[in-house]
Amino acid sequence: MLRKLTFLAVSAVIAFGTLSFDLQQESENPGDRLVGIWEPSNGRSRIKVDRIGNKYYGRVVWLIEPNDADGNPRTDINNPNPDLRNVPLRGFRMCKDFVYQGDDTWSEGTLYDPNNGSTYSGTIKMRDDNTLDMRGYIGVEAIGRTDVWKRLKMPSKKKK
Amino acid sequence: MASCSGPGEIHEYTVNDLEFNLEGPLFAGPNSGQAEIEIDLADVVGGTYEEGMRISDATLKAASVVPNDSMGFAEVNAFVVSFASDNEDVSMQEAAVKNPLEEGETAATLNVAPEAELGEIMEDGKVYVILDADLAEDFWEGNRNFKLNFTLELTIK
Repeated sequence: MLRKLTFLAVSAVIAFGTLSFDLQQESENPGDRLVGIWEPSNGRSRIKVDRIGNKYYGRVVWLIEPNDADGNPRTDINNPNPDLRNVPLRGFRMCKDFVYQGDDTWSEGTLYDPNNGSTYSGTIKMRDDNTLDMRGYIGVEAIGRTDVWKRLKMPSKKKK
Repeated sequence: MASCSGPGEIHEYTVNDLEFNLEGPLFAGPNSGQAEIEIDLADVVGGTYEEGMRISDATLKAASVVPNDSMGFAEVNAFVVSFASDNEDVSMQEAAVKNPLEEGETAATLNVAPEAELGEIMEDGKVYVILDADLAEDFWEGNRNFKLNFTLELTIK
């Protein structure tokens, strides 16, 4: 009986310790819930979000059509800066400078549309751990478009 | 590393051997490494430094990447260098690119984007440097390591 109680007590301590550690980690960077790989609603690309300093950035890591008509890797041909039109589209950082504001919201960032070379102001709202509302707008947030992104689960092991 | 002085002083600021460790597992496609630099204006300006001086403009003049492990540039398609800061009002800027990497290259000289506006990013002194390496294959074992050399032209007022 004593052994059983000891086991339960140790289990409780471990469980509480783990919980405290998780809470501590979350409170240090609560915005890190945005980190991961996301798929926009059209399913034509996948975006990996990382934190650099205190801001969040999203890079294109997969494209359904990675090559152009000539079979060459697509580049950012519509970039307003001619010097950067040779930057590979796969790897392009299309979400930039998002800052976590609390309340499951990241803002102050920009969204870049490589289809037309336009940059929009952006706000990200996390509906749940696996769903984002990505809102892009010019000027007034009320006038814009929202796309729903889904989190992609990564396999933990290499497939043989 | 200041090279000249005068009103609205222009100084060259060179960083050598900035190390980037891209931690595995790495996947085919873009993989990022980041490093932090602190620009000490008193050190850059030297004897003529005065309290209150700040960076008003910055341009990347040159950038090159060299391998920092035995894998060299194997299976690397391209490099992109970007700069960012913690300033919420300032956006990250891509500043140099090498695409594609020539076969057999042992040092990659990047094409710089002179229009990239880096002044506001540099203003606070603390700057994040990001190196994106586009890989042709997955690397499940080990890391990839590179060194970046670059020169900035800073206008200091």
